[in-house]
Amino acid sequence: MGVFDYIRLGVLAVFGGPEMFSVLGVPISITLAMILFGFLLGIATGATPGLAGPVAMAISLPILISAFGFTPDALLPVMGFLIGVMKGATVGGAVPAILFNTPGTPDAFMTTLDGYPMARGGRAGKALRIAHFSSASGDTFSDVVLILCAPFLAILVESYLDLPEKTALLILSLAFISSVIGNSVGKGLISMGLGLFASFVGTGEDFYPRLSMGTQSLAGGFPVTTAVLGVLILGEVFKGIEDLRSERRSGAAPEPVMERGDQRLNRGDIGRLAPYIARSALIGTAIGALPGIGSTLAATLGYSLNRNRYERVKSTDDPAFGTGAPEGVAATEAANSSVSGANLIPVLSLGIPGNAAAVFLILAAESIGGFNPGPSVFRFSADTVNPELVIAFGLFTAMMLANLLNWTVGGVFMRSMGIMIRVPKHILLPIVLLLTLTAIYVQETRMEAMWFAIAFGVLGYFMRRLGMSPLPFVIAFLLGGKLEETARQAFAATGGDPFFLVTSPVAFAFIALSVGVIVFSLRRKKRAGA
Amino acid sequence: MRTLISASIAAFATLLGSTAAMATDWTPPGPIKLAIAFAAGGGADTQARLIAEELETRHGWSIVPEQITGKGGMNLALAIKDEPNDGSVIGMVVTETLGYNMRAAEAGVTPADFTPIVTTAGFQMGIVSQASKGWNTFHDVIAAAKDGERIRFGVMSPKLADIAYLLGKRNGVDLNIIQVAGGRAVMNGVNAGDMDLGFMAGIQSKGVAAGDLVNLASALSTPLGQTPDAPLLSDLGVEFSADGYFVFIGPAGMPTEAGEALASAIAEVVRDESTKAGGVIRNSFGGPTVITGEELNALVNSDFENAGALLAAASE
Repeated sequence: MGVFDYIRLGVLAVFGGPEMFSVLGVPISITLAMILFGFLLGIATGATPGLAGPVAMAISLPILISAFGFTPDALLPVMGFLIGVMKGATVGGAVPAILFNTPGTPDAFMTTLDGYPMARGGRAGKALRIAHFSSASGDTFSDVVLILCAPFLAILVESYLDLPEKTALLILSLAFISSVIGNSVGKGLISMGLGLFASFVGTGEDFYPRLSMGTQSLAGGFPVTTAVLGVLILGEVFKGIEDLRSERRSGAAPEPVMERGDQRLNRGDIGRLAPYIARSALIGTAIGALPGIGSTLAATLGYSLNRNRYERVKSTDDPAFGTGAPEGVAATEAANSSVSGANLIPVLSLGIPGNAAAVFLILAAESIGGFNPGPSVFRFSADTVNPELVIAFGLFTAMMLANLLNWTVGGVFMRSMGIMIRVPKHILLPIVLLLTLTAIYVQETRMEAMWFAIAFGVLGYFMRRLGMSPLPFVIAFLLGGKLEETARQAFAATGGDPFFLVTSPVAFAFIALSVGVIVFSLRRKKRAGA
Repeated sequence: MRTLISASIAAFATLLGSTAAMATDWTPPGPIKLAIAFAAGGGADTQARLIAEELETRHGWSIVPEQITGKGGMNLALAIKDEPNDGSVIGMVVTETLGYNMRAAEAGVTPADFTPIVTTAGFQMGIVSQASKGWNTFHDVIAAAKDGERIRFGVMSPKLADIAYLLGKRNGVDLNIIQVAGGRAVMNGVNAGDMDLGFMAGIQSKGVAAGDLVNLASALSTPLGQTPDAPLLSDLGVEFSADGYFVFIGPAGMPTEAGEALASAIAEVVRDESTKAGGVIRNSFGGPTVITGEELNALVNSDFENAGALLAAASE
């Protein structure tokens, strides 16, 4: 059995499975149909404010498993569906960020920075097309890297990163995000500190719940959705409602934005955006291959590196990053989408998930059985067939098919969404509010979740009013638990060495970089302000 | 007199008969809230949800699953303690929750505040390393540690951390014990090389079968089904074991007929391999282990008592 035999078997497993229906006499296998259904669900989920891919995956996984059962035949249809959701949601996620300034995930936050100003300037259609083109390019690039490198890359990365290095890398991510985003390093650090503080409520290793003030409702900590959606979406909605009121008072009736000018993406645009997309795709893929760091850092890094480059080469009348630059949308979307393929590198070769979507793929594989993500998957056996490797190539085929859908169906969908910008704000805001609260309640079925979400929304509102970026808060909240955990483990693993962060050269370099990025940003922003 | 005695016997028999009839005819007073102490989507959560689904189909009950995770099941225990005890609120935890965790948490509750209903499956808890380490049994680990190798030992609960500490202490070596959340995290750590070995409660079976992982010792009081030759903890000088089961519990004072009806309904489902729940238990947890009634009460109480001894031994 050579490599090509495995590829052939994998492709056949996707196309040749049990027939679901036939189109013009051509049988459509159940796996193909499931990839399409997943993709459509994903794109709709991503485009709904307050919902994101992992939610759809969480809700559909148990339904899929009870429909397909626990036989190895169920693996490709179920995982194909989940891959479809993942891809669809990645591209659809840009829609609410661009049109309504309400990102469904932290990754899409950076898209709002230029996408929303573009939409307000009457170029919503163009922003959506750019987002689609960049996202699909980044995603496809990342999948190609996954398919070529999965067996080797993760093992290489893993051998260089021990627990102290992983802790230092998390600290570097936090330092980077809080000092680069927004216009004040101090506010960024405060935002991050608040996020860490919120993530420490009710958690920890001790049996006694930390910071719960003796109440049972805080003992379980804040559910992730309440904090993330509360700060990112409810905060924006509250601010929007207030803006609406002051606009009414000042008598300036808010005009619905009409699309103006050329909304198409022509060849010149593509040529101009290509270098930004390429840089971001490389950054996203590289970060995706690191287990557990995730797509938000990729989006942030892609955005800020491209911003520096853009500022050097742009002509004077081009809009700056953050005021509606098409390059900003392209840089972010290419970076966060190119994480998704590379994220499967640690999943398939080590069984370690890098983001929430990957967690559900592992769960599916585990619940169904017959496929154990880990080193044994990529064993090319010469005499007998390694069924897991066939499944792996089947998954790669499913990913490429989902990319094809992304380029075709996804494009049509994105083009048709531009019309939503005409919905007036006083109708839109209550709908977004209701959808978000419903989305939270679906995931956390208890009334306290509503109160937490509203409280985080108020926090998000004040942060916006004070000019403090909510992103460091969200990232710190998401990484806080992981940071504590890795730090504890690194401390234990080094036999209780209190200086574990500076004893290994790699960890020391990360820590030095963290301090460096804060100091450097402080000085740069001071100069810019002076 | 004789008539009186026979009358009483008859009355008693009728009473018994009616209780037995009630146990089978028992219906919950309303929807049953099923609290689950495990993260959504994992093997244990799937088990609980599939059992609930099968109970609904078989008995027409309505069951509402809800996640109450964290603190080794203590969050769940405290949340259901004061709920109605008529069978309308139950929870799934592990026996360790009512044993070591409840003892160590000192949260003002004891197993007497709960009604243990029935166990569903046990853990095939082994001490596992990657095959590429070249170790065959835990004795090889001790030898490596004596040669000066730093050994990182992954555990997923404070009780196992205590047992790992005692393993090192009784064999005269220092182990760097790393506590992580859940058996999957231990397996990830071992596969990624962040840990040299660790406790795994059945999740290792496929890796061991494929030859990637090795059961170096059984952490149970009995040999492991998959690697019967692996030494027991008692062979390694540790008098405690990591025996444990998934267990359904309710608040204290649950009426006998409610408890028995729930126990027998759940036991029927987990023993039936043709159900989805039975299939998961066979595939992921090595088959059902049903313990109920007095035997379960005794098991839970002795776990709680022994936890004191383990805590004392580990803090010496």
